[in-house]
Amino acid sequence: MPPGPHPGFSKNVFINCPFDSEYSFLLRPILFTIVYLGFTPQIASQTADSGEQRINKILSLIVKSKYSLHDLSRIRSKRSGELYRLNMPFELGMDYACRRIPSGHLRQKRFLVLGATPHDYKKALSDLAGIDGKPHGNKPKKAVLALRNWFIETVHLKKAESPNVIWYKFTDFTNDFHDERKKDGFTKEDLKMMPIREYIGFIRTWIDNLPRRHISGT
Amino acid sequence: MKSKKSQQVVPNLSGGWSVKSYGSTRAFKTFDTQGEAVAWARSKSKREGLDLYVHGRDGMVRYKNSYRTVPSSPQHGNGRK
Repeated sequence: MPPGPHPGFSKNVFINCPFDSEYSFLLRPILFTIVYLGFTPQIASQTADSGEQRINKILSLIVKSKYSLHDLSRIRSKRSGELYRLNMPFELGMDYACRRIPSGHLRQKRFLVLGATPHDYKKALSDLAGIDGKPHGNKPKKAVLALRNWFIETVHLKKAESPNVIWYKFTDFTNDFHDERKKDGFTKEDLKMMPIREYIGFIRTWIDNLPRRHISGT
Repeated sequence: MKSKKSQQVVPNLSGGWSVKSYGSTRAFKTFDTQGEAVAWARSKSKREGLDLYVHGRDGMVRYKNSYRTVPSSPQHGNGRK
């Protein structure tokens, strides 16, 4: 019998995506949308305990998260001879397996599969036939749209502000982030290299200072 | 939330560019290109003595110009940063 759910289980969202600088233009609005809608992103790069095997860390994040976001848009190699990336589909498989454990709270798990186009990843991962993902077209605004709509359709959030409003809030946040971090002495390079955990902290503080609540619970 | 008196040029969900005020969820005007949006927003910001933030397609701030007539800090006041 698996143990009971983690206290934050129903609000945790496991993020399975690349964490390199080439993906940060999508990751930042994705993180903002998740926090803005009242949820808590869980990412493997948040802790850097070298003594813990990465795969065990990922499994513990999957188990403590009711929701997951898997972005398969970067599994394609760019150059001839370059190996394609297997971590993301592998972690999706781990998540799916947890969800299929016959009893216990892990049966409640739900996930969103994102891709650049609606069906490109299915050509490489035909086992996903019948599982509908959402495309982001490598556009940050479309990622916000896909994620916000998934929270309504699948997480059953009763009400959320429009994708446009969330996007405009994100640009307001980036204005303040730009000014306040500059005042704190951060350079452009520092901002690019900022640990994701620290970035999430700035998002949370900013959202906590907003004048009113903008979402309704599930 | 400190950038209250400012204009932003930001990409919109329809693929074009919008000019909006900080804190507003509605755009003043939308344009097909970032260049057109910046030109219009710059003229408005100069007229009204506001800061102008120009965002990239990723939503992050690319640069900021200040057109404040009364400098709010030593880094403002020369019309450009």
